[in-house]
Amino acid sequence: MSKQPLAPLDLAELLRVEPLSRASAVHLPDPARHVHEVVLAETFDRLHHAAPHSLVVLHHEAATGGWALAAALHAGWERNVSAIVVPRPAMSSSSAVLAERLGIALLVIEDEPVDVALTLAGQVSAPQAARALRVALCAERLAEQSSIRGVLGVLNSELAPVPVALTVGGTVTAGRAAGAAEKPGGTTVCVEINAAGRPWAELVAAVPAKNTAAAGHVESVLRLARLPLLAAWAQTRVHSSAQAAREQAAFGLLRRLVAEPAAAAEPADVEVPPWTGELGWRVEGRNRAVWISPLTATDGAPAEELTQLVRAAWQRHRPDWPLVADSDGWISWQNLPDSTENNDEAGMRRALGAVTHAAESHALVLGVGDAHRGVPGLMRSVTEARLAAHVARDGGPGSVQWFDQVGARAALAWLPRGQIAEVADLCLAGLMAARDREALVDTVLAVLDCGGSLSQASARLGVHRNTVLSRVARAKELGLVFDDPARRLALHVLCYSLASVWLPGRS
Amino acid sequence: MTTRYIGAATTIRADDVPALYEGGKFYSPAVAPERTTLLSWTESLLERNGPVTLVRPDAVAPETRCVAICVIGSGAALADLPPSGDEFALAVRELERLTRHRFDAVYPLAAATVSGIAPLAAASQLDVPLIDADGMGRTFALIHHTAMHLGGLSPTPLVIRGVTGENVAITVPGPARADTLLRSNVDVLGGWAALAAYPTTAGDLRRAALTGTVSRLINVGRLLLESSDPDVLVARLAAVTGCRRIGRGRIVELEHLSRPTDFTIPTHPSSVVIDEIGGQGRQLRLELRSEVVAVFADGALAAAAPDLICLVDVLHGEVSTLDSLEPGDLVDVLVMPADAVWYSAEGLAMVGPASHGIPLEHPRHR
Repeated sequence: MSKQPLAPLDLAELLRVEPLSRASAVHLPDPARHVHEVVLAETFDRLHHAAPHSLVVLHHEAATGGWALAAALHAGWERNVSAIVVPRPAMSSSSAVLAERLGIALLVIEDEPVDVALTLAGQVSAPQAARALRVALCAERLAEQSSIRGVLGVLNSELAPVPVALTVGGTVTAGRAAGAAEKPGGTTVCVEINAAGRPWAELVAAVPAKNTAAAGHVESVLRLARLPLLAAWAQTRVHSSAQAAREQAAFGLLRRLVAEPAAAAEPADVEVPPWTGELGWRVEGRNRAVWISPLTATDGAPAEELTQLVRAAWQRHRPDWPLVADSDGWISWQNLPDSTENNDEAGMRRALGAVTHAAESHALVLGVGDAHRGVPGLMRSVTEARLAAHVARDGGPGSVQWFDQVGARAALAWLPRGQIAEVADLCLAGLMAARDREALVDTVLAVLDCGGSLSQASARLGVHRNTVLSRVARAKELGLVFDDPARRLALHVLCYSLASVWLPGRS
Repeated sequence: MTTRYIGAATTIRADDVPALYEGGKFYSPAVAPERTTLLSWTESLLERNGPVTLVRPDAVAPETRCVAICVIGSGAALADLPPSGDEFALAVRELERLTRHRFDAVYPLAAATVSGIAPLAAASQLDVPLIDADGMGRTFALIHHTAMHLGGLSPTPLVIRGVTGENVAITVPGPARADTLLRSNVDVLGGWAALAAYPTTAGDLRRAALTGTVSRLINVGRLLLESSDPDVLVARLAAVTGCRRIGRGRIVELEHLSRPTDFTIPTHPSSVVIDEIGGQGRQLRLELRSEVVAVFADGALAAAAPDLICLVDVLHGEVSTLDSLEPGDLVDVLVMPADAVWYSAEGLAMVGPASHGIPLEHPRHR
C-alpha cells in the first residue's frame, strides 16, 4: 500500500468527518481541492493575507452578512483559497450565486466558527489522524450494510468523486462503471477479494490524475470493504432455498428466451437480460456448461438435501460460477470473454479436478459441454454437457466426460439400459444363468467393439487371444450368437447395456 | 430650451426653483421628499420678492457674516407637518439674537434635497444673498459631517425652530454632541425643524466650505428635467458632475436588515442585488443605509461613501429613489466623486465606508 503521509487533506475528506460533515455545501466546484491550512478570519485584513489553498472560516466582523460575505468571497477568490466557511446567519442567497460565479467553495456551518476552525486546524495539521478517523467512520458504515449494493453505495459516497466498481472476471457487477474505466493520467486502485482462497472479484477505483495522492487512502477503504462484501455475498448464497428457486426460475426464463424468438431472429441475437447480473450470472461472451448429475438415474429432481450438498461443494471450489438445479441434475457454467480465442480448458480442468473428490463421495458424475456464444450458446452447451454426463455415468462415481470426446456415443446416453438388461433375462436365459456371464458379456462386447478382431479385443481386455476365442465360443453356446447380421446390433446393444448396468457393482 | 449654465455670480429666479429641486433630489437620492408645499411656496416667494442673488464666497467681503440653513429631521414628517413658512427666517433671527450679530448672507448646510431650497427661501425672506457654497456637497447623516467642521469651524451656537413656533438653541464644546442633542429635540418639535447653524464669515467659508455647489445643483437639475434618454442623461451628467456608470443591470433581490445595525447612524441597513446586463455580467451588490453607501462588483468594493452613488431608472430616464426599488427594475448604477475634502484621511474617517460598518479600504485610495 502506497501511503503518502504528507499528502494534504482535500475538501471531500474534510467534509466527511466532524465538524464539516454537518456543514452544508452551498457550492463545491472541486471536492478534490487540497487544504493546506486553516485561517480563522476575523477581519478583512486577515482575509486579504490568507495563503493560497487555505480554508477560511469567517468569524466576527468578517461574518456580519450582507456585503461581508460577498467581499470575503472576492477576497478568497483573489487569494485562491480552497473554501470559505461561513456561519448560517451571514449566509444569503445572492452569496450562493456569487460563490458559483467566482467558483469558490462555500460551506455553511451552524456551529461556533471558532470551534470549527480549531478542530479543522487540528485535522489539517495531522492529515493521517483525520484520515484514520474517516476510515473508522467508514468501517462503521460498511459494517451496517447487508447487501453488495449497499456496500458499493457506501464506498462510492465515501470516496466521491472517485468512482468504485465491483468487477467479477472483468465485468462490472455493482457500483459505478466509471470505476473500472481507465482514465488518462489517473491511477487505478484494485483490491482483490478472495473467496475460499480463490479470487472471486475485484474492487476497482479510478483515482483522477489530480488527486493520486489519495490513492493510498482509497486502497485502505477498499480493503475495509472486503469482509462486508464477502459477508453480503455469502448471505445471498446461504439463503439457498429461496435462491435456488429464484435461480431455477431465472434459468427457465433464459431457456424460454432462446426458444421463443428463434423463429424470428438469429438465435445468437438474444439479448442478455439485465437481471442475470443481479443473480451474479454472466452470460455475455461464450459459455461452457457443466452438467452434474447423480450416478444413477432417478425419476424427477434430485433430493433437496443433495442439492444443498452439491451447492456447498461447488461454492467451496468455484464460488464465482452459478449453480442451478435443473430436472435430474445441476447446471453450472464457465463464462469466457468474447474477445479471447482461448477456450480456457485448463481453467475448466482445474475446476473439475477440485470438485472430483466431492463428486466421488456424493456419487455424482459430470459432463462438460463446448463453449458457445451468448444465451443460445449456453443452452446448447447445457444440452451437450447433459449428454456428456449421461455418458460419464459409465465411468463410475466422480467421472468427468467432455462432450467433444463423446461424439456419436452420446446417442447411447438416452438408452433405457436397465430395461434392456431386463430383456436379457428373458431372451438369453442361458447366458444369464451362467456364473461367468460378466466375463462372457465383456468379451463379446469387446470383440464387437473391435469389429470382430480377436487380437484387438484380447489386447483391450488384457487376456490371451485364446482365452478370448474360448469365451466367444462359450458365449455362442449360451445363445450370444453375434455372427448373424440381423441380430448383431441387438446383441451389441444388449451387451453394452448389461455391461453398464453391472459396472457399478464391481469394485 | 437650451441649457443655460449659470456661473460664479448670478441670480436665482422663480423658474429656476424646479431645476434646483431636481438637482437637490439627485444629490441625495435616498428618499425623495414628496413634492412638498415648500417648492411651490418658494416659487411664489421668489415671484413676489424678486430673484435672489447667488454669490460665491470669494465675491463678497471676507467679514460678511454668514449662517447655514438646513431642514433637519425626516422628509415624511415634513410632508405630514408642512412648514408655516417663517421657520427658517425666524431661526436665523433667533441665532442673531443669541450671537448679537446680524447675518448678511445665508448658505446651505447641505446643497441637496429640500435643504437646498430652504436657504433660498430664507435668503428671499431675509433679503440677503445666497452664498454659492455648502458644507457637504451632498448630504451626510450628521450635522458635523461638514467641510467646515474639517476646517475647524464649530456648528454651534445653533438654533432649531419647529413648526410649533418653538426655538431650541444648542451650544456645545464638542461638535459630536451637537447632533445627539439635536435629534432628541427634533423629535419633540414634530419630526423636523429648521436649522440655523455654523455662524461664520465669508472669509472662513472661502477656506472651509465647498464652493459652487448651489449653481451645480441648478445645472444638474436642468439636465435632469430635459433629458429622458438614459444614455444621453448619463453622458451629460458625467460632463457636469464627473460621474461614471459602474454598470447597468436588473434588480434581482432586496435584502432587508441584511447587516447588524448600530446606533450612530439612523435607518436600517439593507442590500440590493443587481445582475449586470452586458459587460462582464457581474453581480452588483448595493449596501443601503440612508443612502447607497457602497457598491460591490462580484464582491470587490467598486465604490463607497463618500462617493455619491445613485440609480437611474433606465426605462424612465430618471433617478430612482431607494424606496421605489422593486426586483425586476432595470437600472444604471452611477457613481459620482464627492468633493476632494472627503477623501482626506480625516474626511474618510468621518464619512468613509468604515463609518457605515464596512472596514474596507476605499477604492479611490488603492
